[in-house]
Formats: sequence, C-alpha cells, structure tokens
Amino acid sequence: MLEIRDLAKAYGGRPVLRGVDLDVGAGEIVGLLGPNGAGKSTLISIAAGLRRADRGSVRIAGRDATRHRAQTARLIGLAPQDLGIYPTLTVRQNLMFFARLAGLGPSAARRQVNSTAEALGLADRLNHRADTLSGGQKRRLHTAMAVLHRPKLVFLDEPTVGADVASRAGILDVVRQLAAEGTAVVYTTHYLTELEHLGATIAVLHAGRIAVRAPLAEVIARFSAAGVALRFTGEVPHLPGWRVDGERLVPEAPVADPVAAAAQALVALGTRAGGLAGVEIVRPSLESAYLAITGQTAVAQTEEVVDALAA
Amino acid sequence: MLSRRSLIVAGTGARLLLADPAPMIVTIVLPLLFGAFLLPSSRAQLQQSGIVNATGAEHVVPGLAVLFAFLGVSLVGTLFFREHAWGTWDRLRASSASTADIFVGKLLPLYVCLLAQLAVVFTAGAVMYGYRVTGSLLALAVVLALFVAVLVAFGAMLAAVFRTMDQAIVIGNVGGMAMAGLGGALAPASTLPAWAQAAAHASPAYWTLDAIEDITLHRAGLADVTTALAVLAGFLVLFSVVALARFRAEETKVGTT
Repeated sequence: MLEIRDLAKAYGGRPVLRGVDLDVGAGEIVGLLGPNGAGKSTLISIAAGLRRADRGSVRIAGRDATRHRAQTARLIGLAPQDLGIYPTLTVRQNLMFFARLAGLGPSAARRQVNSTAEALGLADRLNHRADTLSGGQKRRLHTAMAVLHRPKLVFLDEPTVGADVASRAGILDVVRQLAAEGTAVVYTTHYLTELEHLGATIAVLHAGRIAVRAPLAEVIARFSAAGVALRFTGEVPHLPGWRVDGERLVPEAPVADPVAAAAQALVALGTRAGGLAGVEIVRPSLESAYLAITGQTAVAQTEEVVDALAA
Repeated sequence: MLSRRSLIVAGTGARLLLADPAPMIVTIVLPLLFGAFLLPSSRAQLQQSGIVNATGAEHVVPGLAVLFAFLGVSLVGTLFFREHAWGTWDRLRASSASTADIFVGKLLPLYVCLLAQLAVVFTAGAVMYGYRVTGSLLALAVVLALFVAVLVAFGAMLAAVFRTMDQAIVIGNVGGMAMAGLGGALAPASTLPAWAQAAAHASPAYWTLDAIEDITLHRAGLADVTTALAVLAGFLVLFSVVALARFRAEETKVGTT
C-alpha cells in the first residue's frame, strides 16, 4: 500500500532523512520508532503530501503520490503529532467536515460519524463543542478525524500523547480494527508497550535511514539480550566468568536465563556474597532492543529481585 | 472554480465565523452607531455644496460601511491563521481538498460575510437615517459586489504575505483605514488636502465611494460608473496576483487560538 524509496530531506543543509526505504502492506501495522529529531514526523509529512522530499519517491496503492495527489490523498488519513481539531465546532461538525472532504455523501458521512464516535467513546459528546472535551476525548476526536472514512493507509503520529488509560485503549482498539479491515497503518509512539499490544512490525529510523525493519519478536530476539548484575556494598568479590563493573559483578558473556545465572553465581560465591546489596535482572524487551539499535546507553529495565540485604 | 470540496471548506469556514460572530457584529453595529454622531456635520457639508435636501446619510452611510468593511478583512485571521494555531491546517492539506479548493473555500465565506455586512449597513442606514439613491440600485449592487471582491483579494494577499496573524491584522487594519480615509470614507475626498486628494486615486475606497456618490446623488446608472468598475477590477487583479504568487500552502503560519 505504501512504498517509500530512497527518501531524502534536509533542513537548512542539515540532512534529516538520508535515503529511507519503507514498505507497508495492507493490513500491516508498522511501528515507526526513532529518537526525537530522527525525522519520523518529517517522513510522515512527506508521505502524506505535506512536504516535498529532496530526493526519492512515495507510492501509495501503486501510484506516485506526487503526480497523482488527488487520487492518493483520498486513500489516506492523517493524525499529526500536534492536536488538530476545530475547538469552536462540535464533535459532529469536526467529524462531518473530514468525512465529506474524504468524499462521503451526507448519509454515509453521518453513518461513519456515528459509528466512529461510538467506537471511540464519543457518541455522547457529538453535539458538544470540541473545546469542552477533556484532553483524552480531544485525542480520541483527533484520531477519529483521521480514520472515520476508513482510509486504505493511515498515519498516526503519536496518537496517544496526553491520553488517559481509557482513551489509549480505545485508540489502540480502533487501530487493530482498521488493520483487521485491511488498512495499512504507520504508527509512531514513544510508548513501546503499545506496539507490543498491537503486534506491530517494527521499523527503527536512525541516522536518517531505516536501520531495522522486522517483526516485533524478531527485533527483540536479535537485538535485546537478557542481563543480570549483582550489586555489592564494599569490596566486590571475583568470580570466574564474571567481571567487576564499578560496584557490580556482571557476566562476561550474554546469559540466556538471567535468574538461573544469578542463582548459580550466588551459590558459587557462598559466604563471599555477604556484601550483596541487590540483584538486577534485565529481561529482553523492545526497549532494550531499540536502545541497542540506536546505540544509546541501556537504562536497565530492572527488577530488584533481592534488595539491600543488610549484613 | 467552485468545486464540491471548496464548498465543503467554505461551509466549515462559515461555521467557524458564526461560532465567533463578535467581529462581524462590530462591523455592522459600529457604523450605524457612529452614523448618528456624524450625520449633522455631513448634512451641513452636503447642503453647503448644493445638495439642498441632503440628510447627511448620503455620505455617512456609504462612508462608514466602506470603512468598517475594511476592518472586516481581519476575518482572514480566523479563516487562515487560526487553522495553524488549532493544528488543523496540515490535516486539511492532507485531505482530498486541493490547495485551490482550500484557498477558494476559505475566501468564499469572507466574501459572503463582507457582502452581508454592507447589505445590512446600507439597509439599516436607509431605515434609520433615510439613506436613498437617486440612481440605479443595480449599479449600487454591482459596485458593492466588486468592492467586496477587492477586499477579499486584499485579505488573501495579507494571508499570503504575512507569517503571523498579528502582522496580517495590524497591517490590514492600518492599511485599510488609510485606504478608507483617503478614499473619502470619513470626510468627502474633495475636502482633503491636495496631496491626499492625489493619493486617493491609489485607494479602492476612493473609486468605490466616488461611484456610490454618483449613484446616490447624481442619478448614475451602470454605464456611468464603468471607469470606477474598471479601476476596481484592476485592484482585484493586482491583489489577486500578489496573493497567488506569494501563497505557499506548506508555509507555517503563526495564529492565535
């Protein structure tokens, strides 16, 4: 549904995208990750026809999106990163406007407005002005305006920012439903658990290119390793196969089972483990995989298994 | 020219203006209010110049209507710049509406609002202050319709040229007031200093009010105001060319919510 080839874009001489290749198929949810300033929003803006690339091409449903803008625009939905709703119009008026612009007739637009509002928990707010909505409701309206015409391709740029738990769940449900109906979804977020819940394919934008594009499980398996560290007060004992790292003892090689490795190390240390202050376990996760791919320092998502065993 | 999508954009633009009607109300109420204060001096001036049965409305009503119509141009703030502040401009651009659909759709409600404002002020001026025309009502309607088109093109130019809503409104208001004043909206152009009378020809308000004066006082019909109509058409082309040449849909504007 979406084919991006060799997309490049620079702002004031500073390259942001350096040759991005990305495909998104019908019914696929691609979670587009990258650090702040990586160019995710720029990539989406270009793909949605808001900005021109310096180089490269975007094809939507097999058509060049620049040359056939009128035909491709009606296939897409966009929820930009910043909230975009008309505050002085009612929820219904906001939704009807974009439904009609998408080409729906009046009665089809009314039906879609009602069903989308129902799906996103806005049915009882349809006749209320948008500026009277809560923050979470505004986010749901913002998302609804992008999806109510059932686009073939939808771009959701951090759709759950500022949303409450219920709003986030509602938005994710709608995204899953869209994909189930065959819509290609490009989804950016800094809440990585959302991508796990969506079962998304992961695409990591790093240094201006897609560094990795693979199913979620494969990304975790390839780039995230389990880890364990034994933290001590005072002198850190030595143990074969382990090395001293500051006040911690860490394995020299990656371990498959961090809990078992910690248990074996403690048995081997015996009484020398008297200064043990804590055991840190790092489980494989999308976060640690992402940090490894982007070369950032891993902030261990730790579970404090044993804490401050006082001597 | 008016595609289905531009009409849809126009419909929402009209709703946005109606949701915040205060600016429009001001441009209707204030000229009618000021009229009461300016009527006596205008009457005296017209009678002194030989219009023995003048009520003063012959100058006050058109003059104030034109003056406040220029202030109405600030509605481009709501129609263009606020879209950026609300975050809706990009999603509008990403929709099936083309840049032309959006541009035309945004300007259409402005045209309707300004035309309505003039119609209300002239009608109320007839009821409240006895404004009457000796010439052709059709000619009056054509002059006003073309004048409003010039104002809309002026507003489009402001939206295209300026990056912030504040800049556009300030320049629009100052420029508009200058054009209206030079054009004879506050005092007949013939009473202005010589330099101002010469400069007045560069104001669309001058040609509008000159044509309206002929229609109001000198029984003019459509054929008698063709020069004014031609000059106004020239202003329309000038402002439109600048607006179209300068307008960049992808340019980020700064508006207030």
